[in-house]
Amino acid sequence: MTKYNFSTVEEMPPLAFSLESTRMIPTGSWRHVRPVYRDKNSPCHITCPAGEKIPAYFELVRQKKYAEAWYKILEDNPLPGVTGRVCYHPCEAQCNRAGYDGAVAIHNIERYVADKNLQNKKLPAAVESPKSEKVAVIGSGPAGLSCAYQLSRMGYRAIIYESDHEPGGMLRYGIPDYRLPKKILDKEIKDIETLGVEIRTDSRIGGNVAWNELERYDAVFVAVGAGHSREMETPGEDLKGVYSGIHFLRELNAGNVPKVGRNVLVVGGGNTAIDAARSALRLGKRVTVLYRRTRADMPAVPGEIEEAEKEGVHFEFLVAPVGLSGDKGKVSEIELVKMKLGDPDESGRKRPVPVKGSNFSLKADTIISAVGEEPDLSFLPYSFLKKGIRLLVDDDYTTGVPGIFAGGDAATNPNGTVVNAIRAGKEAAISIHEFLGWRSRSNGASHNAVTPEEVNTFYFPHGNRVKVPTQTIQKSKSAFSEVNRTLTEEQALTEAERCFTCGTCLHCDVCMTFCPDVAISKDESGEYVIDYDHCKGCGICVEECPRGAMELIPEGAREPAEEVD
Amino acid sequence: MEGRNGMNTTNSGLLHPSIEKVVVMEGTHAASYAVKLARVQVIAAYPITPQTSVVEKLSEIVSDGELDAKFIKVESEHSAMACCIGSSISGARAFTATSSQGLALMHELLHWAAGSRLPIVMVNVNRAMAPPWSIYVDHNDSLSQRDTGWLQFYAESNQEVTDTVLQAYKIAETVSLPVMINLDAFVLSHTSEPVAIPKQELVDEFLPARKASFKVDTSDPRAFGALIGPEAYMEMRYKLYQAMEDARSVIREVDRDFANMFGRSYGGLVEEYMAEDAETVLITSATAVSTARIAVDELRSMGFPVGLMKIRTFRPFPVDEIRALAKHVRKIGVMDRNVSFGATGIIYQETKAVLYNAPDRPAVFGFIAGLGGRDITPETINEIFSYLMNHEEPVSEAVWVGLKTAGADRPEPPFPENSAAMKRSDGV
Repeated sequence: MTKYNFSTVEEMPPLAFSLESTRMIPTGSWRHVRPVYRDKNSPCHITCPAGEKIPAYFELVRQKKYAEAWYKILEDNPLPGVTGRVCYHPCEAQCNRAGYDGAVAIHNIERYVADKNLQNKKLPAAVESPKSEKVAVIGSGPAGLSCAYQLSRMGYRAIIYESDHEPGGMLRYGIPDYRLPKKILDKEIKDIETLGVEIRTDSRIGGNVAWNELERYDAVFVAVGAGHSREMETPGEDLKGVYSGIHFLRELNAGNVPKVGRNVLVVGGGNTAIDAARSALRLGKRVTVLYRRTRADMPAVPGEIEEAEKEGVHFEFLVAPVGLSGDKGKVSEIELVKMKLGDPDESGRKRPVPVKGSNFSLKADTIISAVGEEPDLSFLPYSFLKKGIRLLVDDDYTTGVPGIFAGGDAATNPNGTVVNAIRAGKEAAISIHEFLGWRSRSNGASHNAVTPEEVNTFYFPHGNRVKVPTQTIQKSKSAFSEVNRTLTEEQALTEAERCFTCGTCLHCDVCMTFCPDVAISKDESGEYVIDYDHCKGCGICVEECPRGAMELIPEGAREPAEEVD
Repeated sequence: MEGRNGMNTTNSGLLHPSIEKVVVMEGTHAASYAVKLARVQVIAAYPITPQTSVVEKLSEIVSDGELDAKFIKVESEHSAMACCIGSSISGARAFTATSSQGLALMHELLHWAAGSRLPIVMVNVNRAMAPPWSIYVDHNDSLSQRDTGWLQFYAESNQEVTDTVLQAYKIAETVSLPVMINLDAFVLSHTSEPVAIPKQELVDEFLPARKASFKVDTSDPRAFGALIGPEAYMEMRYKLYQAMEDARSVIREVDRDFANMFGRSYGGLVEEYMAEDAETVLITSATAVSTARIAVDELRSMGFPVGLMKIRTFRPFPVDEIRALAKHVRKIGVMDRNVSFGATGIIYQETKAVLYNAPDRPAVFGFIAGLGGRDITPETINEIFSYLMNHEEPVSEAVWVGLKTAGADRPEPPFPENSAAMKRSDGV
């Protein structure tokens, strides 16, 4: 550096500033912690059973790149139109915005993206080259579709065997139209087929297709679901006018409206019970749901219970059926016993205990029993390990029989939801891929998510969660048309704007703007570069980052690997 | 023809060709519209009564897209000045406005702005310092910032506020020093007067875009405001001192240029009124000058040889102008709307100081009036002239005019009882 010697006032500059660049002074040596860019997982992504990359596709939505957003979802879930409607969206419960001004309506955006692509014929290409191995999938419910779809993306030939006349499993035969119109399901299944999955309907393994036909496949995924209603185990269950919930919904969905009387009683507290009750209501009947525990214990999705109540379904809690009696072979009365709550059972809920002498009867002309479903595994030719009524599988969906995998409601790791079945299918596909000798791309990603404290809410003005447009209660009560509507583009964009995009750098330039040492710049590709010769490690960039996509690490530590999937 | 508030019309009543339109507006808005005309690029301010409407209007102007500027909301006046310093050192034209306690909070950074030689312009609405709380006018807030290296102007009318903001940027950017323009709380800030808005293209010609001779450039980083040892600090101070000295001629020149283009002049550092042949002259500043003009007119009509000198710039102090005045007057009264505790009125002090080494030294009398918004009326001015006529030499260093006392320090009874004493001493 040149040494300046001013001998007179006339030679001096007007103020104290360096006459040469200060760039040669490496003030970065003062640093003992260094900022690094490090994308992190968002809580919604971690929570989503299907592992959808929610922040990434939200950003594409904000840019109005709806096809790209759709492709981003399709990486993890081939059925966004379905899950956008029927998923219980656990992602929203974990949304960092929940404690700020209400969780982002993630499922509505997912649905918007799916619906925006209803006419989109251009599907994403398979991600890997074609392979010679073939995999059979038994069942075309969400688990089977998801598994076959992912295998197909990996380059395998995937063939689904479906015993029914049409594919979809519970999605088609279990979920009523007012929640999931058939055209949405048909479209998304068609997409899966277009991508290369073959679906053989009317093909029952152990029926018209022999089990040993599967021997020519390199692997098999059993995803037959739980389509069998459990019995109430009360006398009179065989009387006319008594339906199982599954049967009732199935008939309805197949277009054969079951004969029901004016006074319908539904026994059970799960989603099947609620779906059956709301469907019966739409047939113009008076409907009462009887449940042996309390409302808070109901396994059905709370929003569905609320909607049922709004539409006029009645509820009786803490009652259990004791017996049914009839007149000329047709049910006319149900005998119930009142229950009280005892000690907690293995599910953690308080066990209902009958109150002695509290029996009473109700008149009824139709009883729908929806006390649970179980898989029908009678087609299996040899004994598999089971736990209770389900196939016992390991975390990697292996059954103990080499090459045979199982998942979804037929296996031991379900929670009976569509999205968990989609997850099982996706993860089983990865296991099958590994079984066939390939290394999976799975990188053991961290499950730490950005916390609400890591979000700099200063950058996010308060804004209410979108109000989802719905049809009128009056309309809902009398028709099977969809209750909830798709958001408008304006609503979707406003809602997507609410997303904090936790953990994903959006190149908002806040770090660059706030760096007091002007030590952050952008390279030709638009990525940030930190000039560590001049970064003093003050941490302002990390503190200021709106979405927790930066981190301070001790000086000398190695840069951590990316944490995101 | 020039009206009292500087409004210029031709003989036929038509407006001067430089005027775009005449709008009736309050003093704060007179500042806001001048800032717009000056094409200021960064505005950072914190609200305080009675300054608020200056920046409130500017926020509207910026949000309406009428001015392409960054409007930075800040959490204190200290930050407001910090923003102005940051933007000014990056080469931008910066503006802020404040008042009273807010100005006091800025104090540290006022030194920074001047020491960094940044041409920031600030409007300060003069409001008395607390406690006791007051929102009304006196000048102790700005005069407390006397030694920070800022130029200080005091405006008499709303028109002068507009015109001085435009002149201020030109002066500031010529001498590389910040300028503070002061206007009296409420008397000017919230009183509406017609203000001639000059044509933008003429303002652009008068005040071209700022060309900073040194600025922060991130592609060529420099250190600003570094530590300077005893071997050079004094020279840096001398540079600043010299810049303020140079400002005297720049102020006069800019005022002349302004008059040529817009037809209005404020005399540079001072404006004299009926002082040329006066025997007794009152020196004062800001809105009290307008009131004093009326009193002087009245006394003149009665034959008394009185005049007026308006202090327009307190920094730099009008040394030459006051010494020139001293050559031909017998008595000078100074009316201060401020007080320096342990001394006297501040302008009185400074006036005496410039005369001590001058050959002509008339008697100088100090008056303190109008503190904390107490009205200064023509009667107040008459009372002071009456005192001046009745005294050959000052008997007190600080005569408190209008003070409510039991009688000890009361000035002489007002005019016209002692009118005989006020006739010209030479009998003309």
